[in-house]
Amino acid sequence: MRTTRFHLLHILAGVLIAVLLGIHMVRLHLDAILEFFGVDSEDPTSWTSMIDRASQGIWAALYIALLAVALYHALYGLRGIILELTPSAKAGRVVTWSFIIIGIVVFGWSAYVPLHLLSS
Amino acid sequence: MTESSTKQIAFKVQRYDPEQGGAPHWQQFTVPSSRGTTVLDGLIYIKENLDSTLAFRTSCRMGICGSCGMLINSYPHLACHTQIEEFHSNTLTVRPLPNLSIIKDLVVDLTPMFHNHKSIKPYILRQDAQEMRTPTSEFAQIPQELNDFLQFAYCIKCGICVSACPTSASDRLFLGPQALAQCYRYCADNRDEGQQERLRVADTNHGAWHCHLAGACSEACPKGVDPALAIQLLKRRLASQALGLRGKRQASSVVSPPTQTKPKIPFPEFTVKGSA
Repeated sequence: MRTTRFHLLHILAGVLIAVLLGIHMVRLHLDAILEFFGVDSEDPTSWTSMIDRASQGIWAALYIALLAVALYHALYGLRGIILELTPSAKAGRVVTWSFIIIGIVVFGWSAYVPLHLLSS
Repeated sequence: MTESSTKQIAFKVQRYDPEQGGAPHWQQFTVPSSRGTTVLDGLIYIKENLDSTLAFRTSCRMGICGSCGMLINSYPHLACHTQIEEFHSNTLTVRPLPNLSIIKDLVVDLTPMFHNHKSIKPYILRQDAQEMRTPTSEFAQIPQELNDFLQFAYCIKCGICVSACPTSASDRLFLGPQALAQCYRYCADNRDEGQQERLRVADTNHGAWHCHLAGACSEACPKGVDPALAIQLLKRRLASQALGLRGKRQASSVVSPPTQTKPKIPFPEFTVKGSA
Protein backbone atom coordinates (compact mmCIF):
# COMPACT_ATOMS: atom_id res chain seq x y z
CA MET A 1 0.00 0.00 0.00
CA ARG A 2 3.02 2.29 -0.40
CA THR A 3 1.75 4.23 -3.41
CA THR A 4 -1.62 4.69 -1.73
CA ARG A 5 0.02 6.08 1.42
CA PHE A 6 2.12 8.52 -0.62
CA HIS A 7 -0.96 9.57 -2.55
CA LEU A 8 -3.00 10.13 0.62
CA LEU A 9 -0.09 12.15 1.98
CA HIS A 10 -0.17 14.20 -1.22
CA ILE A 11 -3.85 14.98 -0.63
CA LEU A 12 -3.21 15.77 3.05
CA ALA A 13 -0.32 18.07 2.03
CA GLY A 14 -2.75 19.95 -0.23
CA VAL A 15 -5.11 20.52 2.69
CA LEU A 16 -2.23 21.59 4.96
CA ILE A 17 -1.02 24.09 2.34
CA ALA A 18 -4.45 25.72 2.39
CA VAL A 19 -4.40 25.89 6.21
CA LEU A 20 -0.80 27.09 6.67
CA LEU A 21 -0.89 29.50 3.74
CA GLY A 22 -4.25 30.72 5.06
CA ILE A 23 -2.65 31.56 8.44
CA HIS A 24 0.18 33.36 6.65
CA MET A 25 -2.20 35.35 4.43
CA VAL A 26 -4.51 36.30 7.31
CA ARG A 27 -1.63 37.43 9.50
CA LEU A 28 0.15 39.44 6.83
CA HIS A 29 -2.55 40.79 4.56
CA LEU A 30 -5.82 40.84 6.49
CA ASP A 31 -4.57 43.00 9.35
CA ALA A 32 -7.64 45.24 9.14
CA ILE A 33 -9.88 42.27 9.92
CA LEU A 34 -7.54 41.10 12.70
CA GLU A 35 -7.68 44.60 14.17
CA PHE A 36 -11.48 44.31 14.22
CA PHE A 37 -11.09 41.18 16.36
CA GLY A 38 -8.69 42.97 18.73
CA VAL A 39 -5.32 41.71 17.42
CA ASP A 40 -2.46 44.29 17.44
CA SER A 41 -2.47 46.58 14.43
CA GLU A 42 1.24 47.13 13.84
CA ASP A 43 2.06 46.86 10.13
CA PRO A 44 2.74 43.11 9.72
CA THR A 45 4.68 43.63 6.47
CA SER A 46 7.27 45.95 8.02
CA TRP A 47 10.85 44.79 8.56
CA THR A 48 10.64 44.92 12.36
CA SER A 49 7.42 42.88 12.40
CA MET A 50 8.97 40.28 10.14
CA ILE A 51 12.13 40.01 12.32
CA ASP A 52 9.93 39.86 15.42
CA ARG A 53 7.90 36.96 13.99
CA ALA A 54 11.03 35.19 12.77
CA SER A 55 12.41 35.12 16.29
CA GLN A 56 9.35 33.24 17.53
CA GLY A 57 9.56 29.45 17.33
CA ILE A 58 5.91 28.99 16.36
CA TRP A 59 6.27 31.12 13.22
CA ALA A 60 9.54 29.46 12.24
CA ALA A 61 7.86 26.07 12.66
CA LEU A 62 4.87 27.24 10.59
CA TYR A 63 7.05 28.41 7.70
CA ILE A 64 9.20 25.29 7.75
CA ALA A 65 6.06 23.12 7.81
CA LEU A 66 4.62 25.15 4.92
CA LEU A 67 7.86 24.69 3.00
CA ALA A 68 7.84 20.92 3.62
CA VAL A 69 4.20 20.33 2.60
CA ALA A 70 4.40 22.67 -0.41
CA LEU A 71 7.59 20.98 -1.62
CA TYR A 72 6.16 17.50 -1.15
CA HIS A 73 2.86 18.40 -2.85
CA ALA A 74 4.58 20.12 -5.78
CA LEU A 75 7.30 17.55 -6.36
CA TYR A 76 5.01 14.53 -5.95
CA GLY A 77 2.54 16.05 -8.42
CA LEU A 78 5.30 16.88 -10.90
CA ARG A 79 6.75 13.40 -10.50
CA GLY A 80 3.33 11.93 -11.34
CA ILE A 81 3.18 13.94 -14.57
CA ILE A 82 6.71 12.98 -15.59
CA LEU A 83 6.18 9.30 -14.67
CA GLU A 84 3.32 9.24 -17.15
CA LEU A 85 5.81 9.94 -19.90
CA THR A 86 8.52 7.53 -18.76
CA PRO A 87 8.81 4.48 -21.01
CA SER A 88 10.00 1.98 -18.38
CA ALA A 89 9.98 1.20 -14.66
CA LYS A 90 13.76 1.78 -14.55
CA ALA A 91 13.39 5.31 -15.94
CA GLY A 92 10.61 5.82 -13.40
CA ARG A 93 12.98 4.96 -10.54
CA VAL A 94 15.53 7.48 -11.86
CA VAL A 95 12.80 10.15 -11.93
CA THR A 96 11.71 9.29 -8.36
CA TRP A 97 15.23 9.45 -6.92
CA SER A 98 15.96 12.67 -8.80
CA PHE A 99 12.91 14.26 -7.18
CA ILE A 100 13.88 12.96 -3.72
CA ILE A 101 17.35 14.50 -4.06
CA ILE A 102 15.97 17.79 -5.45
CA GLY A 103 13.43 17.89 -2.60
CA ILE A 104 16.04 17.34 0.13
CA VAL A 105 18.42 19.94 -1.35
CA VAL A 106 15.71 22.59 -1.80
CA PHE A 107 14.29 21.91 1.67
CA GLY A 108 17.71 22.17 3.36
CA TRP A 109 18.54 25.32 1.43
CA SER A 110 15.20 27.03 2.07
CA ALA A 111 14.83 25.98 5.72
CA TYR A 112 18.18 27.63 6.48
CA VAL A 113 16.65 31.16 6.38
CA PRO A 114 13.96 30.74 9.10
CA LEU A 115 16.35 28.63 11.21
CA HIS A 116 19.09 31.26 10.94
CA LEU A 117 16.68 34.08 11.80
CA LEU A 118 15.39 32.07 14.77
CA SER A 119 18.87 31.51 16.17
CA SER A 120 20.13 35.07 15.55
CA MET B 1 -35.04 -3.10 -49.25
CA THR B 2 -36.45 -0.76 -51.86
CA GLU B 3 -34.31 1.19 -54.29
CA SER B 4 -35.54 4.55 -52.91
CA SER B 5 -34.62 3.79 -49.27
CA THR B 6 -31.03 2.90 -50.13
CA LYS B 7 -28.39 5.61 -49.83
CA GLN B 8 -24.81 5.55 -51.01
CA ILE B 9 -22.40 6.14 -48.14
CA ALA B 10 -18.72 6.99 -48.59
CA PHE B 11 -16.63 4.84 -46.24
CA LYS B 12 -13.21 6.38 -45.64
CA VAL B 13 -11.25 3.47 -44.18
CA GLN B 14 -7.74 3.73 -42.78
CA ARG B 15 -5.55 1.08 -44.39
CA TYR B 16 -2.20 -0.19 -43.17
CA ASP B 17 -0.30 -3.28 -44.21
CA PRO B 18 2.95 -3.85 -42.29
CA GLU B 19 4.21 -6.20 -45.01
CA GLN B 20 4.03 -3.41 -47.58
CA GLY B 21 5.36 -0.83 -45.11
CA GLY B 22 4.73 2.89 -45.32
CA ALA B 23 2.41 5.00 -43.23
CA PRO B 24 -1.30 4.30 -42.73
CA HIS B 25 -3.36 5.85 -45.53
CA TRP B 26 -7.01 6.40 -46.40
CA GLN B 27 -9.03 4.49 -48.95
CA GLN B 28 -12.57 5.41 -49.91
CA PHE B 29 -15.36 2.95 -50.75
CA THR B 30 -18.99 3.52 -51.66
CA VAL B 31 -21.38 1.33 -49.72
CA PRO B 32 -25.16 1.03 -50.11
CA SER B 33 -26.95 1.67 -46.84
CA SER B 34 -30.55 1.49 -45.75
CA ARG B 35 -32.36 1.60 -42.44
CA GLY B 36 -30.73 -0.81 -39.99
CA THR B 37 -27.46 -1.16 -41.87
CA THR B 38 -24.61 -1.23 -39.38
CA VAL B 39 -21.05 -0.07 -39.92
CA LEU B 40 -20.03 -3.72 -39.70
CA ASP B 41 -22.49 -4.57 -42.51
CA GLY B 42 -20.76 -1.87 -44.56
CA LEU B 43 -17.32 -3.31 -43.89
CA ILE B 44 -18.52 -6.82 -44.74
CA TYR B 45 -19.97 -5.40 -47.99
CA ILE B 46 -16.57 -3.88 -48.81
CA LYS B 47 -14.77 -7.15 -48.06
CA GLU B 48 -17.21 -9.26 -50.08
CA ASN B 49 -17.68 -6.94 -53.06
CA LEU B 50 -15.00 -4.27 -53.30
CA ASP B 51 -11.74 -5.24 -51.62
CA SER B 52 -11.18 -8.64 -50.08
CA THR B 53 -7.86 -7.55 -48.55
CA LEU B 54 -9.55 -5.29 -45.97
CA ALA B 55 -8.82 -6.67 -42.49
CA PHE B 56 -11.10 -6.25 -39.49
CA ARG B 57 -12.25 -8.42 -36.60
CA THR B 58 -15.82 -9.61 -36.26
CA SER B 59 -17.64 -12.54 -34.78
CA CYS B 60 -21.05 -12.38 -33.12
CA ARG B 61 -22.52 -9.30 -34.90
CA MET B 62 -24.65 -8.54 -31.83
CA GLY B 63 -22.45 -6.62 -29.38
CA ILE B 64 -21.48 -9.62 -27.29
CA CYS B 65 -18.03 -10.79 -28.41
CA GLY B 66 -16.29 -7.39 -28.39
CA SER B 67 -14.31 -8.08 -31.57
CA CYS B 68 -15.33 -5.16 -33.78
CA GLY B 69 -14.28 -2.16 -31.71
CA MET B 70 -13.09 0.65 -33.99
CA LEU B 71 -12.96 4.42 -34.27
CA ILE B 72 -16.01 5.49 -36.27
CA ASN B 73 -16.22 9.22 -37.05
CA SER B 74 -13.50 9.80 -34.45
CA TYR B 75 -15.34 8.05 -31.61
CA PRO B 76 -14.81 4.48 -30.43
CA HIS B 77 -17.77 2.19 -31.14
CA LEU B 78 -18.58 -1.46 -31.74
CA ALA B 79 -19.13 -1.57 -35.51
CA CYS B 80 -21.90 -4.16 -35.14
CA HIS B 81 -23.71 -2.03 -32.59
CA THR B 82 -23.58 1.19 -34.62
CA GLN B 83 -26.00 1.94 -37.40
CA ILE B 84 -24.84 4.13 -40.28
CA GLU B 85 -28.04 6.18 -39.98
CA GLU B 86 -27.04 7.35 -36.49
CA PHE B 87 -24.45 9.70 -37.95
CA HIS B 88 -26.81 11.58 -40.33
CA SER B 89 -23.94 11.89 -42.78
CA ASN B 90 -23.07 10.52 -46.18
CA THR B 91 -19.44 10.08 -45.18
CA LEU B 92 -18.03 7.81 -42.51
CA THR B 93 -14.45 7.58 -41.38
CA VAL B 94 -13.38 4.24 -39.94
CA ARG B 95 -10.05 3.86 -38.18
CA PRO B 96 -8.52 1.29 -35.83
CA LEU B 97 -8.80 1.89 -32.08
CA PRO B 98 -6.21 4.37 -30.81
CA ASN B 99 -3.79 3.67 -27.90
CA LEU B 100 -3.16 0.18 -29.33
CA SER B 101 -0.70 -0.77 -32.04
CA ILE B 102 -2.08 -1.71 -35.44
CA ILE B 103 -1.63 -5.23 -36.77
CA LYS B 104 -3.31 -4.60 -40.12
CA ASP B 105 -5.99 -2.13 -41.34
CA LEU B 106 -8.62 -2.07 -38.55
CA VAL B 107 -7.14 -4.91 -36.51
CA VAL B 108 -5.31 -3.76 -33.38
CA ASP B 109 -3.05 -5.67 -31.03
CA LEU B 110 -4.99 -6.25 -27.81
CA THR B 111 -2.10 -8.14 -26.17
CA PRO B 112 -1.15 -5.31 -23.74
CA MET B 113 -4.76 -5.00 -22.60
CA PHE B 114 -5.08 -8.75 -21.99
CA HIS B 115 -1.68 -8.77 -20.28
CA ASN B 116 -2.95 -6.12 -17.82
CA HIS B 117 -6.23 -7.98 -17.47
CA LYS B 118 -4.38 -11.17 -16.61
CA SER B 119 -2.14 -9.38 -14.08
CA ILE B 120 -5.07 -8.59 -11.77
CA LYS B 121 -6.01 -12.31 -11.60
CA PRO B 122 -9.52 -12.07 -13.04
CA TYR B 123 -10.93 -15.17 -11.37
CA ILE B 124 -12.17 -16.22 -7.95
CA LEU B 125 -9.31 -16.81 -5.51
CA ARG B 126 -10.07 -18.79 -2.36
CA GLN B 127 -8.09 -20.09 0.60
CA ASP B 128 -9.81 -23.48 0.40
CA ALA B 129 -7.78 -24.78 -2.53
CA GLN B 130 -9.25 -28.25 -2.21
CA GLU B 131 -12.79 -26.93 -2.78
CA MET B 132 -11.56 -24.89 -5.75
CA ARG B 133 -9.94 -27.92 -7.36
CA THR B 134 -12.74 -30.34 -6.72
CA PRO B 135 -15.91 -28.39 -5.98
CA THR B 136 -18.46 -30.22 -3.86
CA SER B 137 -20.91 -27.40 -3.28
CA GLU B 138 -21.74 -23.81 -4.22
CA PHE B 139 -20.48 -20.49 -2.83
CA ALA B 140 -23.34 -18.61 -1.20
CA GLN B 141 -24.22 -15.23 -2.71
CA ILE B 142 -27.41 -13.25 -2.22
CA PRO B 143 -28.76 -10.92 -4.96
CA GLN B 144 -27.62 -7.78 -3.04
CA GLU B 145 -24.06 -9.11 -2.99
CA LEU B 146 -24.28 -9.83 -6.70
CA ASN B 147 -25.42 -6.24 -7.34
CA ASP B 148 -22.18 -4.94 -5.79
CA PHE B 149 -20.28 -5.91 -8.91
CA LEU B 150 -22.82 -7.05 -11.49
CA GLN B 151 -22.51 -4.10 -13.89
CA PHE B 152 -18.72 -4.51 -13.99
CA ALA B 153 -19.16 -8.18 -14.92
CA TYR B 154 -20.77 -7.08 -18.22
CA CYS B 155 -17.32 -6.14 -19.61
CA ILE B 156 -16.75 -7.84 -22.98
CA LYS B 157 -13.05 -6.86 -23.21
CA CYS B 158 -13.48 -4.99 -26.49
CA GLY B 159 -10.74 -2.46 -25.63
CA ILE B 160 -12.96 0.57 -26.30
CA CYS B 161 -12.43 1.99 -22.78
CA VAL B 162 -8.66 1.67 -23.17
CA SER B 163 -8.77 3.43 -26.52
CA ALA B 164 -10.90 6.25 -25.08
CA CYS B 165 -8.72 6.71 -21.97
CA PRO B 166 -6.48 9.82 -22.10
CA THR B 167 -4.14 8.34 -19.48
CA SER B 168 -3.62 5.19 -21.54
CA ALA B 169 -2.79 7.49 -24.47
CA SER B 170 0.11 9.11 -22.66
CA ASP B 171 1.18 6.38 -20.22
CA ARG B 172 2.03 3.07 -21.88
CA LEU B 173 2.55 1.41 -18.48
CA PHE B 174 -0.89 2.41 -17.12
CA LEU B 175 -3.00 -0.62 -16.18
CA GLY B 176 -5.97 0.88 -18.00
CA PRO B 177 -9.67 1.18 -17.15
CA GLN B 178 -10.51 -2.35 -18.25
CA ALA B 179 -8.06 -4.10 -15.91
CA LEU B 180 -8.73 -1.74 -13.01
CA ALA B 181 -12.50 -2.15 -13.33
CA GLN B 182 -12.08 -5.92 -13.37
CA CYS B 183 -9.78 -5.65 -10.36
CA TYR B 184 -12.63 -3.99 -8.47
CA ARG B 185 -15.15 -6.46 -9.87
CA TYR B 186 -13.32 -9.42 -8.30
CA CYS B 187 -12.43 -7.58 -5.07
CA ALA B 188 -16.12 -6.74 -4.59
CA ASP B 189 -17.19 -10.35 -5.13
CA ASN B 190 -18.06 -11.85 -1.74
CA ARG B 191 -16.97 -15.32 -2.92
CA ASP B 192 -13.42 -14.07 -3.44
CA GLU B 193 -10.50 -13.92 -1.01
CA GLY B 194 -7.81 -12.55 -3.33
CA GLN B 195 -8.21 -8.86 -2.60
CA GLN B 196 -4.72 -8.47 -1.11
CA GLU B 197 -3.05 -9.89 -4.19
CA ARG B 198 -5.06 -7.69 -6.55
CA LEU B 199 -4.67 -4.48 -4.55
CA ARG B 200 -0.90 -4.95 -4.69
CA VAL B 201 -1.13 -4.84 -8.50
CA ALA B 202 -3.37 -1.76 -8.49
CA ASP B 203 -1.23 0.03 -5.87
CA THR B 204 1.61 1.05 -8.19
CA ASN B 205 2.76 4.25 -9.88
CA HIS B 206 0.85 3.21 -13.01
CA GLY B 207 -2.16 1.77 -11.19
CA ALA B 208 -5.42 3.10 -9.80
CA TRP B 209 -4.03 6.41 -8.50
CA HIS B 210 -2.82 7.33 -11.96
CA CYS B 211 -6.39 7.57 -13.29
CA HIS B 212 -7.17 11.23 -14.14
CA LEU B 213 -10.90 10.59 -13.76
CA ALA B 214 -11.67 11.93 -17.23
CA GLY B 215 -14.60 9.50 -17.42
CA ALA B 216 -14.05 8.86 -21.14
CA CYS B 217 -14.04 5.08 -20.49
CA SER B 218 -17.53 5.13 -18.99
CA GLU B 219 -18.79 7.43 -21.74
CA ALA B 220 -17.51 5.14 -24.49
CA CYS B 221 -18.32 1.69 -23.06
CA PRO B 222 -20.84 0.02 -25.40
CA LYS B 223 -22.10 -2.28 -22.62
CA GLY B 224 -22.94 0.47 -20.13
CA VAL B 225 -20.18 -0.53 -17.73
CA ASP B 226 -18.85 2.36 -15.65
CA PRO B 227 -15.09 1.71 -15.30
CA ALA B 228 -14.51 5.21 -13.89
CA LEU B 229 -16.82 4.37 -10.98
CA ALA B 230 -15.05 1.05 -10.45
CA ILE B 231 -11.68 2.83 -10.29
CA GLN B 232 -13.03 5.31 -7.72
CA LEU B 233 -14.41 2.44 -5.63
CA LEU B 234 -11.07 0.68 -5.99
CA LYS B 235 -9.29 3.80 -4.73
CA ARG B 236 -11.61 3.77 -1.72
CA ARG B 237 -10.63 0.17 -1.01
CA LEU B 238 -6.95 1.01 -1.39
CA ALA B 239 -7.25 3.99 0.97
CA SER B 240 -9.23 1.98 3.54
CA GLN B 241 -6.63 -0.77 3.35
CA ALA B 242 -3.70 1.65 3.74
CA LEU B 243 -5.34 3.37 6.72
CA GLY B 244 -6.38 0.07 8.27
CA LEU B 245 -10.05 1.02 8.23
CA ARG B 246 -11.31 -2.12 6.55
CA GLY B 247 -11.31 -5.34 8.50
CA LYS B 248 -10.74 -8.70 6.91
CA ARG B 249 -13.84 -9.79 5.05
CA GLN B 250 -15.27 -13.21 5.62
CA ALA B 251 -15.59 -14.98 2.29
CA SER B 252 -18.93 -16.54 1.50
CA SER B 253 -19.54 -19.96 2.91
CA VAL B 254 -19.87 -23.13 0.92
CA VAL B 255 -23.45 -24.33 0.78
CA SER B 256 -25.03 -27.38 -0.77
CA PRO B 257 -27.17 -26.67 -3.81
CA PRO B 258 -30.89 -26.51 -2.96
CA THR B 259 -32.56 -29.87 -3.10
CA GLN B 260 -36.02 -28.41 -3.54
CA THR B 261 -36.72 -25.58 -5.93
CA LYS B 262 -39.86 -23.57 -6.47
CA PRO B 263 -42.35 -25.26 -8.75
CA LYS B 264 -42.06 -23.99 -12.27
CA ILE B 265 -44.84 -21.83 -13.65
CA PRO B 266 -47.02 -24.13 -15.69
CA PHE B 267 -46.94 -23.70 -19.43
CA PRO B 268 -50.13 -21.86 -20.54
CA GLU B 269 -52.67 -23.83 -22.44
CA PHE B 270 -52.82 -23.30 -26.16
CA THR B 271 -55.46 -20.75 -27.03
CA VAL B 272 -55.65 -21.86 -30.64
CA LYS B 273 -56.95 -25.37 -30.77
CA GLY B 274 -55.81 -27.55 -33.60
CA SER B 275 -58.56 -28.44 -36.05
CA ALA B 276 -59.52 -32.00 -35.30
